Amino acid sequence: MPPADWTSDPMHVPALSFLAATQLTRLNPVDLIILLLYFGVVLFIGFYVKGSTNTSEEFFLAGREMTAWIAGLSFVSANLGSLELMGWAGAAYQYGILATHWYWIGAIPAMLFLGIVMMPFYYISKTHSVPGYLQLRFGEGARGLSAASFAFMTILMSGVNMYSMALVMKVVLGWDINFSIWVGAATVAIYVMLGGLRSAIINEVLQFVLIWAGAALIPILGLIEAGGWTNLKAQIARNIGSNDYTHLWSTLGHFKDNQMGINWVGIVFGLGAIISFGYWTTDFLVVQRVLSAHNLRAAKMAPVLGAAFKMAVPLIVIVPGLLALGVLRDPHTGALIHLVGENQIDATHPYSYNEVLPLMLIRYCGPGLLGLGITALVAGFMSGMAGNVSAFSTVWTYDIYGAYINKRASDKHYVLMGRWSTVIGMVISILTAYLVMKAASIMDYVQALFSFFIAPLFGTVILGMLWKRATNWGGFLGLLAGTASSVGMFIYTSTGSDAHKMQALSRIALSPDAQPMAENMFRALWSWLICVSVTVIVSLMTKPRPESELNGLVYGATVIPDDGATHLWQKPIFWAAVVFVVFVTLQFIFF
Amino acid sequence: MAEGTGRGEAFSIWFFVGIMTLAYGAVLLPYGAYEWFGGHERNTVLNNLHPTFWWGLLLFLFGGFYTIKYRPRPGDENKV
Repeated sequence: MPPADWTSDPMHVPALSFLAATQLTRLNPVDLIILLLYFGVVLFIGFYVKGSTNTSEEFFLAGREMTAWIAGLSFVSANLGSLELMGWAGAAYQYGILATHWYWIGAIPAMLFLGIVMMPFYYISKTHSVPGYLQLRFGEGARGLSAASFAFMTILMSGVNMYSMALVMKVVLGWDINFSIWVGAATVAIYVMLGGLRSAIINEVLQFVLIWAGAALIPILGLIEAGGWTNLKAQIARNIGSNDYTHLWSTLGHFKDNQMGINWVGIVFGLGAIISFGYWTTDFLVVQRVLSAHNLRAAKMAPVLGAAFKMAVPLIVIVPGLLALGVLRDPHTGALIHLVGENQIDATHPYSYNEVLPLMLIRYCGPGLLGLGITALVAGFMSGMAGNVSAFSTVWTYDIYGAYINKRASDKHYVLMGRWSTVIGMVISILTAYLVMKAASIMDYVQALFSFFIAPLFGTVILGMLWKRATNWGGFLGLLAGTASSVGMFIYTSTGSDAHKMQALSRIALSPDAQPMAENMFRALWSWLICVSVTVIVSLMTKPRPESELNGLVYGATVIPDDGATHLWQKPIFWAAVVFVVFVTLQFIFF
Repeated sequence: MAEGTGRGEAFSIWFFVGIMTLAYGAVLLPYGAYEWFGGHERNTVLNNLHPTFWWGLLLFLFGGFYTIKYRPRPGDENKV
């Protein structure tokens, strides 16, 4: 069974509600030097780029001057937070290699689709945000709904991230929670307020490098200790008593055949086709990074490059979880250490799944390297908060304040509003963090709330881009119906007696053997279908917009400008094909 | 050109990447040498491979390469 704190949003990670009795390790002076160096550099960057963030385009979209490499690294890094690393390493320990689906089929096709199919419309429409695109395509109703929900959820997520960082620092290093919250929040607030998206992007690129520098030693040393991948598989099979933990697809025939309680339909259509596309193509937090690209070709290439890097991430996330299944032994007794769910921790099982990454870090990394690993975690948390806050400040300023409260202010005024909304957003995040501290279950609900909007929003955006006949009312009502149905299904499956919950789950996932993870997939699938159906029906019943108004917004009504690529190796479609071939090959290798 | 840092600036994003990893290498490399050659290795798994020293060396070389390649030079400032 998945742990009780497993989030309802499969694109996000388990809420880290563990509280170990004692801290796992402590930092040495050399570790502190490494950590302080990081804080010094990120603050310096904030002050350094402040001079280049005077206009709204510079503050909110980094001047639209980023190269494909920078935008691509930032795009993938915005999603690679520490919760992501720790949560999915724990999931790999719990479910085995199946967790890799969230990095491969749950990301790569969607990222390539964003780059090749959707990015031209986001880019040539010159929109500043995803709600901004909805306003151009479907009018104020769809924009207002998506902007309000995004701003609300994003700022709450920032608070959850902040609390999680403080909790991890307490568990791993014994740091005071208040200290971690205030230092983290103040640092992020300063560098985002000063440098806006530019500052956030630079730090995300740095964070990506730091995460690899801090975490790559675990799989390298782990695989050396295990004697290579083949030996690791044999050790896991011996320790678990089953070969299932190292197969990506062969156990997905039926819900009962795998430890995750899901089948291939849920993974392919729920995760791969809906949730993944919803997250990677419509969540403004990640799309904003690509909108900062300096030309159309860079905007198309950025997600393709991001996909290539994303494909490598399981090495530092999934492999450590699998390694723990094979080699994590008590140094004194030599007995295998069994990690358990949060609610199963006791004297004989003191560690949870979510602690697998810090445990493996401590196993291989002494002073210095430990500081590097901890710095990578801190960097991940801070860039996660910065990503949330910079996206919030953009949507708040452009799509709420500028759209409904003060439409005719000067550009300078909007930049000032962006800086202030960064600070206010951070204050709300801090309040959320303290709220979560009082009632940890809020964390699960916040993450679940996020999932309500992802799948329907993808339905609305994709119909808006690909179907000229979709009307304003169709888009708005489809989004509303999809979101409402997702909320309804969540309430249906998460309230009442246990027997009722089991029955509700079996109805939503179409099988009595389904586990909560399958509910996420099928709920996404249903809410997307409802959104699309309502959009189509209402659109056919209402008056279409003239084609001349859809230029630059919809396929068939738009002449997409040439991206300037003259050679094959300059074409984004070529590199997308290369990445896709590698992706398919990996599926067969680990089948 | 100073990629990513905006108008009038001379430091590229890649320069920051370089300087940061170079600094980490400069901290880890001597510390790793002190552990290895001074017999102060911590009791971690595979400490006989001296990961702090080798990882520090790798970061130092990586950071040094990026720092030199993307160091600010006259005329590199982005156009204002």
